[in-house]
Amino acid sequence: MAAFASLDTQTADLVPPGKAHLRDSTQDAARALETFLASVERKAFRIAQIALRHEADALDVVQDAMLQLSTRYAARPPEEWRPLFYRILENRVRDVQRRRSVRNRVMAYMPWRGEDQEDAADPIDQAVDRAPLPPAQLESDEAMAALEQAIAGLPARQRQAFLLRNFEGLDVAETAATMKCSQGSVKTHYFRALHALRAKLGEFRT
Amino acid sequence: MSGEQAEVGDSEFEQRARAVLTQSAEQLPGAVRSRLTQARFAALAARPARGPSFARRWVPAGAAAAAVLALLVVYAPYGRGPAENPVANAGLEDIELLTDNDAVPLNGDQDVDYDFYEWAADEADGTTASALGS
Repeated sequence: MAAFASLDTQTADLVPPGKAHLRDSTQDAARALETFLASVERKAFRIAQIALRHEADALDVVQDAMLQLSTRYAARPPEEWRPLFYRILENRVRDVQRRRSVRNRVMAYMPWRGEDQEDAADPIDQAVDRAPLPPAQLESDEAMAALEQAIAGLPARQRQAFLLRNFEGLDVAETAATMKCSQGSVKTHYFRALHALRAKLGEFRT
Repeated sequence: MSGEQAEVGDSEFEQRARAVLTQSAEQLPGAVRSRLTQARFAALAARPARGPSFARRWVPAGAAAAAVLALLVVYAPYGRGPAENPVANAGLEDIELLTDNDAVPLNGDQDVDYDFYEWAADEADGTTASALGS
């Protein structure tokens, strides 16, 4: 909530004296948007990370989605923010995946491919930490890794339906609005995702 | 397909999946949480304020309307409208000229009294002849 101090100062400067009601409503809207973004940012990051399998790309995607919602759709009713935000997020995820696909295709024809390692993951960061973990933590991490890998292997629409419904907790109508499809399609994608995950993981334990 | 259209249930599998995912979101590394907070602040700072947004929306529209009005004032064909167009009104003017009794006759030859001129000429010749004869 530290952002409010600076935001309040900024909005106070913008609103002339005698227009206190405008300033109050502006502050209320900023506060509502702040609360909303804070409530979705971590789950949004995890959704993007599962789809992209890349931490920095996931952070960029979440940042873009926040920025676009704030600059373009902040005036919309707050109940519309969640579907809008996740639709923007999914579009950004798809953009990154397309860029990667094009880049990989182009790089496949380059004779010097493989020399540019800027985007490659740092092997030190990727190295497995050999320090012993508590058993509960280890099981949890293993369960998360298995689930994440299984979800990432789903078709895009199934992955989207499963994460929005099960993880983010959107209802069918909100999920349909986010995915730009019918509610029946959402239910179908969700069912198939669930079926595929069960087939892959069994009744995994946390 | 109706059999596939299942609602989100509270099956054990779904509960476990939700718990694992939620836990992973709550246990994000500090660096990631910090980046997310920075991103949120940046998004909020970029949010357009209501007052300037109103001005930004209407000032360009007003300027565009004023420019269009100025162009109309400068280039509007005042005095050259259809009512004043000589070509368009040529037929009307011709009718007015033909029906005007006081106007100069356009086909003057029909109104010339040739008998008068012949008589006058004869008279002039006779006068001259008589004057010469006398």
